[in-house]
Amino acid sequence: MIGRFEYARPKSVEDAVSLLRERGGDAAVYAGGTDLLVEIRNGHRAPALLVDVKGIDELRRLEIGETELRIGAATPLNAVAESRAVRHRLVALADAALSIGTYQIRGRATLAGNVCNASPAADTAPVLLVAGAELIVAGPAGRRSVPVQELFTGVKRTSLSAEDIVVEVRIPAAEGALETAFLKQQRIRGHDLAVVNVAGSVDVDTRRMAVAVGSCAPTPVLLDPVDTRGQSPAEISERLITLAEKATSPISDVRASASYRRAILPVLLRRLCDRLAAEGAVA
Amino acid sequence: MHPISFTVNGERQELCVPSSMTLLELIRDALHLTGTKEGCSIGECGACTVLLDGTPVTSCLVLAVEADGCELTTIEGEAHGGELSSLQQAFIEAGAVQCGFCTPGMILSARALLSRTDDPGEDEILEAIAGNLCRCTGYEAILEAVRIAARRRRPGEAGDA
Repeated sequence: MIGRFEYARPKSVEDAVSLLRERGGDAAVYAGGTDLLVEIRNGHRAPALLVDVKGIDELRRLEIGETELRIGAATPLNAVAESRAVRHRLVALADAALSIGTYQIRGRATLAGNVCNASPAADTAPVLLVAGAELIVAGPAGRRSVPVQELFTGVKRTSLSAEDIVVEVRIPAAEGALETAFLKQQRIRGHDLAVVNVAGSVDVDTRRMAVAVGSCAPTPVLLDPVDTRGQSPAEISERLITLAEKATSPISDVRASASYRRAILPVLLRRLCDRLAAEGAVA
Repeated sequence: MHPISFTVNGERQELCVPSSMTLLELIRDALHLTGTKEGCSIGECGACTVLLDGTPVTSCLVLAVEADGCELTTIEGEAHGGELSSLQQAFIEAGAVQCGFCTPGMILSARALLSRTDDPGEDEILEAIAGNLCRCTGYEAILEAVRIAARRRRPGEAGDA
């Protein structure tokens, strides 16, 4: 047995929100469980009720619209990583999803869970930041949109309340609108959390570049946008390195020292620019 | 307690499970199918891998109650009528089994891979078993076993893995 909790599997978003509301902060949303069950086992969390949202049909969709991707909150990461449409429209998201955990973990873990767990190292977070994604959140007052940029408030902390559940992740991704890339430094070739991860996007029309960095601050960090017009990849990456050094505050932990993170971050940013340049997105 | 109904290796089961029981505990302690191993208990090692509706999961990170309505396949479902599957046979031929602790999970991850494709590339095989740690073999013999089993499944080549 892992901990002591009750289990409920509501069929609708409204029923899930009511359950969370009744139990106040004593209940936890249970999707893939690959973070939650480990935290319960380790004694870091002790919810009295798990509200399993995998039985809600609305949360299990992956819809490819004209201008956006809509990924239901209970959709497993393998479905995201293996979707041809996702890879075609937003290659960074497919790559980031594929870099998480193992095949078994990705069969359970969800995109929404990866961001809502709010690890500074969450691999999909930098991608969602540079793509301008938003979460559709249901709470006692109804539904609202929360930009991913406004989600992270600290290590493992978000702006969502204990009565909220995420319905879907909505990502602007019109065909051919964005070139994207995701890079991750890890200790071993197999499955590992990121020592540093970075994602970049370039708007094909405006040539505006957005870059986000993970594992180098209490939250994933979206850097100020960069106008790439008339700039060489080398000039752009130097600009990004300056921005990233100001916006991040790497620490030493079990995966790497702060000085290693400070050393590898510029390397990843240069590679990111080179990758986007190779796609023709940068000068 | 939750009443659940599911099939394990094709056989129907109905029982009551507590909320916080894991699928791994259900398999080993309630169904007494001890081929499934417990390693790390946090989804890292893959020793407890089983197939839930054909999808490989680490059963330490799944609740028993979630088996309700599902088809569960454990390593005991791999052999039929005392005959090893040709995937199991390939593991023996390639010398892919040493201490054996990772083998049940490894075989089920490989089984799921072969159900997705008859002709997996090297990267696909590596990705499929990246979540199953082996401390004995160095993996080469395991990769070879999966290649042998895949080859035997392809049309025009012998075998029935």
